Amino acid sequence: MKAIEISHITKDYGSHRGVFDLSFDVGKGEVLGFLGPNGAGKTTTIRQLMGFIKPDSGQVKIMGKDCFKRADEIRRHLGYLPGEIAFMDSMSGTEFISFVAKMKGMKDLGRAPELMKRFDLDASGKLKKMSKGTKQKIGIVCAFMQNPKIIILDEPTSGLDPLMQNRFVELILSEKRRGKTILMSSHIFEEVEKTCDRAAIIRSGELVAVEPMEKLCSGRQKKLEITFADEKMASEYVKEFRKARQSKHHPRMVAMKVGGELDEAVKRAAAYTVTDLDIHTQTLEEFFLHFYGGDKK
Amino acid sequence: MINLTLYKREWKANWILLVIFMGVLTMYATMIVSMFDPEMGDSLKVMAESMPEVFAAFGMADVGQTLLEFITGYLYGILLTAFPAVYIIILSNRLVAKYVDNGSMVYLLSGPQKRGQIVRTQALFQITSLLVMLVYVILVIIATSQILFPGDLEMKAFLRVNVGLFGLWILLSGVCFLASCIWNDSKMAIGVGSAIVVYAVLVQMISQVGEKFENLKYATPMSLFHADGLIANESQAWITCGVMYGVGILCYVAGVQIFKRRNLPI
Repeated sequence: MKAIEISHITKDYGSHRGVFDLSFDVGKGEVLGFLGPNGAGKTTTIRQLMGFIKPDSGQVKIMGKDCFKRADEIRRHLGYLPGEIAFMDSMSGTEFISFVAKMKGMKDLGRAPELMKRFDLDASGKLKKMSKGTKQKIGIVCAFMQNPKIIILDEPTSGLDPLMQNRFVELILSEKRRGKTILMSSHIFEEVEKTCDRAAIIRSGELVAVEPMEKLCSGRQKKLEITFADEKMASEYVKEFRKARQSKHHPRMVAMKVGGELDEAVKRAAAYTVTDLDIHTQTLEEFFLHFYGGDKK
Repeated sequence: MINLTLYKREWKANWILLVIFMGVLTMYATMIVSMFDPEMGDSLKVMAESMPEVFAAFGMADVGQTLLEFITGYLYGILLTAFPAVYIIILSNRLVAKYVDNGSMVYLLSGPQKRGQIVRTQALFQITSLLVMLVYVILVIIATSQILFPGDLEMKAFLRVNVGLFGLWILLSGVCFLASCIWNDSKMAIGVGSAIVVYAVLVQMISQVGEKFENLKYATPMSLFHADGLIANESQAWITCGVMYGVGILCYVAGVQIFKRRNLPI
């Protein structure tokens, strides 16, 4: 039995919004990234997993249980971080965390103190006055504190600064070692790349691919911009390395898109004086274009 | 059956609102009771004669001679229905629709409770808070009456009137709670609930102004509450009172059932 099974679900909101005939599953102890651009249907899928909405057709099951009919039983073992976090504004952070702990039927705060420490969270203030990042941390604490077997996270790092994003990645990796099943949605490839075993990619409500992370990474290109000490070096580099193009506006700079040839690109550049180096990773859309050779339809 | 954690949290979040409304009702109740004057013929009556339509609209025409008739006429006609109605509109929105609208319903549904349990808790909270308001108002009126006019209030008849008043509150709160359970949007829930309540109160006021509009009383649920009939212990008044409780509870049940089955955009 898979931890999470999604089979042929359709939830049509009209004008091609929603999800259409979507199927994938998450094995026990697996960390699955759920990737897609904004509005692709990630949250719609997750709401069906949480039993908040019913699919028009198809089935969603967690631990073999129907997600809508038996949502209460499933939630006993489930941690959830919503994509748009909203709390009861009149409460303070600490009050809220202990309220959620009680709602979850926990006798104490569970892992909350440890998690708060991990994220440098001071939850004593009023929720209303908290920044987006602080609220996100509280959401994360609430999702993990009862030590659930299955964790569903909708855009978990939004609002977090890079340091906290790293701490979050560490948390996911340590949960993975503890054998947790995690489904994590994102529109950013990198955070999924660092943590997930597989990724399901969704676009316009339809599944594009479910692939192991290595396969997706191997097909991925980076945009490299190297600035040399003078124009001559740049033009010589371009001659040697065919993928590179010299910039018209900045003649000392060359730009290239590289995948597997990254090693060659860097080693050839090493023969010259490099004054600056920029690496742009592809957006998801660019990634799709490369991976599937244009619009799949 | 219900969730105690949530029930307590609602008390903590809403007691101030309840206290404010009880404060306003205390003011009106003590004021009206103290204006009763068994010896001199009452001063309100003189006022009523000077502007009969206005007093009629508020259900204050033909107010009788006894303290009880005086209280029910001036207090139970509009003050103890319209003010609690405002409380009901605000509270029922807060209890369900607002959580769905801003998304914090996720955290009410974060534990191993069924949706039904959560929404039943909210319904029970609304009903008990109204009960607290009712008991409080009853005690204020009794206390004021006993201090100013000892022994004048016919206690049993007075309590019968309050059974009817609570039926009306149950009816109005049931309708508003149902609206709160149906709509995702707080504005919509509050709009529909208050439109129904304002309609009911307005039509009742118009129906009381003159004979021309008297038949309008059949178009408003407010006329199901017969204070005079309950004082006289008439069976028809008890039947309409039962209808209020019945329809109100039906609305609560429908709200719970709808909430259990619907899609939540949270």
